Amino acid sequence: MTRNLVLMAMLASGIRAQPVGTAVIAIRDARIHSASGPVIAKGTVLVRNGLIEAVGDKVTIPPEAWIVEGAGLNVYPGLIDPLSTWGQPTAAGAGRPIQAPAPGPTPTTPAQLEQRIQTLDEGGPEERPSNTSWVRAADLLDPKSATLVSARNAGYTTAIGFPMTNVFAGQGSAYNLAGARAGLMVVGDPVGQMITLPARGFGGTFPGSLMGILSYVRQIYIDADYYKAAQALYAQNPVGLQRPAYDRALDGVIASPRILLPAGRFAEIDRMLRFGKEMKQPLVLYGGAEAFRGASLLAAAKVPMLVNLRWPERERDLDPFIKEPLRTLETRDLAPSGPAELVKVGVKFAFYSGGVERPAELRKAGKKAIDAGLSREEALKGLTLYPAQIFGLDNRLGSIEVGKIANLTIMDGDLFDEKSKLKFTLIDGSKYEPAPEAAPATPESNR
Amino acid sequence: MNRRLFLSSLAAAPLLYSAGETILIRNAKILTVTKGRVDGSLLIRDGKIAEIGANVLAPTGATIVDAGGGFLMPGIVDCHAHIGSDATNEGSISVSSMVKIEDVLAPDDIQIYRGLAAGVTTSNVLHGSANTIGGQCTVVKMRWGKPATQMIFAGAKPGIKFALGENVKRAGGGTNFSATARYPATRMGVEDVVREAFNDARAYQRQRDEYQTRLAKGERVLPPRRDLKLEPLVEVLEGKRLVHAHCYRSDEILMLLRTAEEYGFKIRTLQHGLEAYKVAKEIAKHGAGVSTFADSWSYKIEAYDAIPYNAALCMKAGVLTSLNTDAPVTQQRHLLQDAAKTQRYGQLSDDEALSLVTINPARQLMIEDRVGSLEVGKDADIVLTDKHPLSMYAKVQKVFVDGEEYFDREKDMRSRAERETRRKALAEKLKPPPPPAQKKGAR
Amino acid sequence: MRCPNILVFLTLAASLQAENFAIRGVTLHPVSSPDVPNAVLVVTGDRIADMGPKAAIPKGYKIIEGKGLHVYPGMIDSASVLGLSEIGSIRETQDITELGDFNPQLRTIIAINPGSEHIGVTRASGITASVVVPSGGFIGGQASIVHLDGWTWEEMAVEKSAAMQMRRASIEAGFGGRGGGRGFGAARRPFAEVKRRYDEQMQQVRLFFEQARAYQMRKANPVLGFKPDLRLEAMIPVLEGKKPLMIVAEKERGIRDALAFAEREKIKIVLAGAREVDPFLEELAKKNIPVVLPDLYQVPMEEDASIDEPLDIPAKLAKAGIRFAFGSYNIERPRNLPFQAANAVANGLPYDVALKALTLTAAEIWGIADRLGSLDKGKFADFILTDGDPLETKTQIKQMWILGNPVSLENRHTKLYEQYKKRL
Repeated sequence: MTRNLVLMAMLASGIRAQPVGTAVIAIRDARIHSASGPVIAKGTVLVRNGLIEAVGDKVTIPPEAWIVEGAGLNVYPGLIDPLSTWGQPTAAGAGRPIQAPAPGPTPTTPAQLEQRIQTLDEGGPEERPSNTSWVRAADLLDPKSATLVSARNAGYTTAIGFPMTNVFAGQGSAYNLAGARAGLMVVGDPVGQMITLPARGFGGTFPGSLMGILSYVRQIYIDADYYKAAQALYAQNPVGLQRPAYDRALDGVIASPRILLPAGRFAEIDRMLRFGKEMKQPLVLYGGAEAFRGASLLAAAKVPMLVNLRWPERERDLDPFIKEPLRTLETRDLAPSGPAELVKVGVKFAFYSGGVERPAELRKAGKKAIDAGLSREEALKGLTLYPAQIFGLDNRLGSIEVGKIANLTIMDGDLFDEKSKLKFTLIDGSKYEPAPEAAPATPESNR
Repeated sequence: MNRRLFLSSLAAAPLLYSAGETILIRNAKILTVTKGRVDGSLLIRDGKIAEIGANVLAPTGATIVDAGGGFLMPGIVDCHAHIGSDATNEGSISVSSMVKIEDVLAPDDIQIYRGLAAGVTTSNVLHGSANTIGGQCTVVKMRWGKPATQMIFAGAKPGIKFALGENVKRAGGGTNFSATARYPATRMGVEDVVREAFNDARAYQRQRDEYQTRLAKGERVLPPRRDLKLEPLVEVLEGKRLVHAHCYRSDEILMLLRTAEEYGFKIRTLQHGLEAYKVAKEIAKHGAGVSTFADSWSYKIEAYDAIPYNAALCMKAGVLTSLNTDAPVTQQRHLLQDAAKTQRYGQLSDDEALSLVTINPARQLMIEDRVGSLEVGKDADIVLTDKHPLSMYAKVQKVFVDGEEYFDREKDMRSRAERETRRKALAEKLKPPPPPAQKKGAR
Repeated sequence: MRCPNILVFLTLAASLQAENFAIRGVTLHPVSSPDVPNAVLVVTGDRIADMGPKAAIPKGYKIIEGKGLHVYPGMIDSASVLGLSEIGSIRETQDITELGDFNPQLRTIIAINPGSEHIGVTRASGITASVVVPSGGFIGGQASIVHLDGWTWEEMAVEKSAAMQMRRASIEAGFGGRGGGRGFGAARRPFAEVKRRYDEQMQQVRLFFEQARAYQMRKANPVLGFKPDLRLEAMIPVLEGKKPLMIVAEKERGIRDALAFAEREKIKIVLAGAREVDPFLEELAKKNIPVVLPDLYQVPMEEDASIDEPLDIPAKLAKAGIRFAFGSYNIERPRNLPFQAANAVANGLPYDVALKALTLTAAEIWGIADRLGSLDKGKFADFILTDGDPLETKTQIKQMWILGNPVSLENRHTKLYEQYKKRL
């Protein structure tokens, strides 16, 4: 009781936004949604040293614990954004991309021409343009990023961040959304290689088209295999062998435990499933606007889908005279039913923040999937346990289970109830209350 | 559920006759193209043509289709199209042999349905013409509504696109206006690019052979790095991949034939080949086919000597000749009429004209044992028209692919109103709420 | 081959001195009246002198045996760039699009190259006259009508100034990609921005018409120092309703604006290139506004459009009682006009309406039906001799006469054909 008072006094004294780093916390008499087991109508979660020490309706609260009265509160595993740029540098400096050299002026002298042709001759997969596969989100993480605050305010405790520039954008890292230093925030790394399809122009540098990108990715994986074989042979006995050249672009690929490929339309889901299989890499697809059409393909391939919470919408400021095709409208109408279809056929899915600009809107977007047939339990898992499982982090994250990291999201009502408010989150056992956010940069864009 | 959803969102009406069904089409004038005309019936069993004759007994359980005295002809084969793919050109480099159309097939492209509705059942989907050596192409059956894998024409020999002349030069920035230069900018350079590429391919081939030799000797050696750019060119050298070369002028056609001969491979088809008639003898001798336009001309200087008699002249010279669309440059829905134009320009017979869009392109793609004519044992790719298909007044009524009905004009018409109603209802349902602030002045 | 005497005749050079002649034994397709089998057609000078089953052939007239053959009036291309364009990709060969937004003073007639290879190629399809239309800015200039024969444009001219071309301001914000909308490659601009530009342009057009009207007043009541203005002067026949404004508008909004514009300005218009015609069928019929069809060899406008669009447009117009004609627009297309017409028939257009749209209706729309468009006594002797329906590819066009002159059907293509046939 006194401890509660101390806590309340601290909160009142204006340090609400600061983490309350307490070794032992007990949230009692709360409704606990573990995500991995049945809901505990009235129970206790005991947290010690940043880990969950106990959970259940008969937990004995040790005397050293700070007690949070949980009556009327819902405790969830901390929400996870499985494909995120929170905490990552903004687009301008993102990923410190290695840009393909800009085309030079038209060569005029024979020497220039010679050089130019030389360069052009080399324009091919062996050059490794648009490849920063070695870059890791963990290394780019900025603990002071304002995006972390708004993400926490929305109930998120963990992001799996990815560099997003270049075809081989780099490696994802899972990190908690609060911590003193980047190094203390990381909970898993590397988790996968991000492949993006940057819009590229005609006549630029290779690869300049979708099929160019795909064949380029294919060649890189072939080269990575070759690189491994060459290194192994050399390591065995270098005598008499040409030494394999050091190639960080391939090292980065080899270090990645899985590959992430974009797939929105049915045709893209079909395409990327085939392509991923050919790459012989554990595969995760992201996008999923037409997952409702491609669910059975995903099921047959046993590939998980990260579903973008930015549901397809009418283009802003579209000519009112334009008749949108039936197919476009159907996709827009049915996209939120994708997760329910995926669950029906046993495909693992997770929601990611995608293009939704404000985390606060993410739960609202998730509710759309529920309205389209997804159960609340599955929706919760799609924000917690499933993303952890998809990236092999479910031994430490994603559910309220003993021994896992104490990342919790505590609401004053049901997570998907619009009226519910976030009370606080625990991240690594430290408490964060909703904090004022920097004003959104473009309120216009959120309409 | 998912399959149904997928289909429902596309323009095709639900299939009436499904795969594997036994169908007897009666009361038809059957234009086999290779074996004359038969007035009677055609039996489809297991997706193949089982019987053709004046009187064919309907097997028990067979579905009977009355052709109403209309004409049956083989499904049309378009030897050159850019439909059903999400990319056409890898325009960045002069040799882009590593890219594959197969990787980017887009079975939801409405143009597939439109082509189907015009009787096209097979298309050679090609890389564009921005590069001297372009990407790998894919022969597809127009199985609208099916995923990409099921559209690919299984067993068709793989191909690759080459391109000569203006497009390649232009992409190279052959003018002073272009900021980026890409070799080649002349026809001389184009030849060089071909030679350099096959020079590399030969070296790669030797490297692979050498590896085998050294391996056999028990040496510690790595295989050569797999090169996705050179592999398809080695396949060309080994005769395992067909070359479809975009070209216009007679000089460049001759150049390509001679270069190929020097490196010991064949050009399978000269695509467009608008001046092929000028070197028809040489083309016939090389054994290349020509796949040309019916009457396109004058859109650029290399098309100024294009004549609508090209197909007829090539044919007379003994060149395996076909007509193509380059869709969407010209439309597949006019391909039959393009064939008919050779009767105005060159006075070809009905069978000759029809062969330009059926058996000849099938031969060019080396799939003539499967499609291109109505013969027992071939795939049941069949088109029903109301009038003689070479008449300007004919309309395609039904199209079967592998014995499955993929298009029916009446059903298409009926479903159109229903689709429009659905579209309107959805548009209404998904209408964004009007922004409350902007009432004034907005209409 | 099928008619040797005709072929011999065909090899005569173009534009021989007119010689009075008669064709006998042919089936006449006058278009203005029912077909006449086994008839005689008599030509005196540049005119049809007589025709019918029993028309008398005056003494000294050359007689052509036409047994089994057919005579049709020469066909008219109602929107072409013939003589203004030679090779699509070469700018130097293009004389269609002038700089500037308002150029009513420009005249296509004086820029028509009588030596263009396209003229002969177009004739080979049975087309004897062409409405040559400029395009550029909002008002592109004056369309002219020419016979496809003559040493000079002066000799070719039927009407030196037949209509004023105007293009609707464009408001297309861009949407979707190939085939109408999968969203690839289209660089879309915000609608608000496009709309603002469009409104500005509409205003410019209105202001220009106001200027022209003001000029009309000034000219009617000249004061000292009045100086003619070539641009505004050229607008007067349009304002007076003597010359139609040929407004090119493809989509619903453009067509609606065009009709409203004509209503407000009280001018005579011909609507060209219209595709989204459904909402306007009644209005067009009621106001008796003629239409020049769009190029029918275009892909359907959007993904959900009928697979027959735009080939189904002529039938719709015909059903609504709207007069229309065919136009090629593109330099490659004129010779396909008869085939387009046949395709329209396959899509529900009555055959005789199709044939008329290529001949008499076109002549009526352009106000030259007193001279061209049908086989009638007193009209120009512009016709073709065929072995069948000229809308079918299988049919061979045997011979053509323009202004009573036999015109060779030889052209760049037949010459190359003959030349290289020898090399086979």
